[in-house]
Amino acid sequence: MSPRARVALLALAALILLPGAASVIAGLPPFGATIARYGERINAITPEARHVANMVSAINFDLRGLDTLGEEFMLLAAITGTVILLRGRRGEGKTGRAMRRPGRAVIPRSEAVVLACRIAGPLTALFGLYVVLHATVTPGGGFQGGVILASGTLLIYLGEGYVGWRDAVRSPWLDALEGGGALLFALCGLAPMLTGAAFMQNVLPLGTFRDPFSGGLMLVENLGVAMAVAGGFTQLFLEFMEETREADEPDEPGEESA
Amino acid sequence: MTVILPLLFLLTAASGTAVVLVRDPTRQIFAIAVNGLVLTILFDALQAPDVALSELAVGSAAVPLLFLVALMAVRTQPPEEKS
Repeated sequence: MSPRARVALLALAALILLPGAASVIAGLPPFGATIARYGERINAITPEARHVANMVSAINFDLRGLDTLGEEFMLLAAITGTVILLRGRRGEGKTGRAMRRPGRAVIPRSEAVVLACRIAGPLTALFGLYVVLHATVTPGGGFQGGVILASGTLLIYLGEGYVGWRDAVRSPWLDALEGGGALLFALCGLAPMLTGAAFMQNVLPLGTFRDPFSGGLMLVENLGVAMAVAGGFTQLFLEFMEETREADEPDEPGEESA
Repeated sequence: MTVILPLLFLLTAASGTAVVLVRDPTRQIFAIAVNGLVLTILFDALQAPDVALSELAVGSAAVPLLFLVALMAVRTQPPEEKS
């Protein structure tokens, strides 16, 4: 397509889309306006109905829990796809060293970095656990806590290097975490049906408002999401890191691997 | 609050523009990380701490790191002769 035709197409698209966009923007509530009606409703109903202080958790894991279940499996499918695409023979061994290709200088790691990572790693993991466990009372929840946990494992890589990282973070554990988390979430949907309740109905005792043990089933679902996200993200990092490593044996095309 | 929000919006615009204008891939990744950090502060100022936490972990740590590693994997190929 010639540049002139492209500009003409752009002008045509702008002519059609801009009035719509302008009217939508003009219809938005003014910046800094009071909370919208839906938010006010949620704020009024949820503390009494579900005994949780974090409304976002209440929506994600209870009122619209089915959506979150779908998102959970989207994440699982995306990471499974990445693993299938990237993993050759390289995903299996853990003896080799990363980034050791001929003609590539190896820069020694400074002691300050090692110390900083050894201090920050456990603290990051602890904060991740805190975010997961306080999902119903403070901002955050399973996804956020899970990602923080995964970045905690990355600090091991930054501090200890590739071999130490592969030694501490085992691929089968990550598989178990990821799949187990998704299974736990799915079971949270199915288990209430055994008691005659609806799919994902909150059948556990709701607990007291502003107590970490509030929200009933939400806590278990949060745990499932945290496991799946922490395992999945670490798996993703691991597979990408493997790409920079020289394989012990070359991948054979068409070979059944992983 | 009146000063902080416009300042943060300006910072967001500036760091976003920087991501587009920086042409070196390695520097671009760091520009993305900085943009993620600015967005984190903006989300926090707009009272969305949940989103801020996600943005901090995903936008300014996980995604730039994956990009860095991908770039590294591309660069570890033995260099071709330069013409």
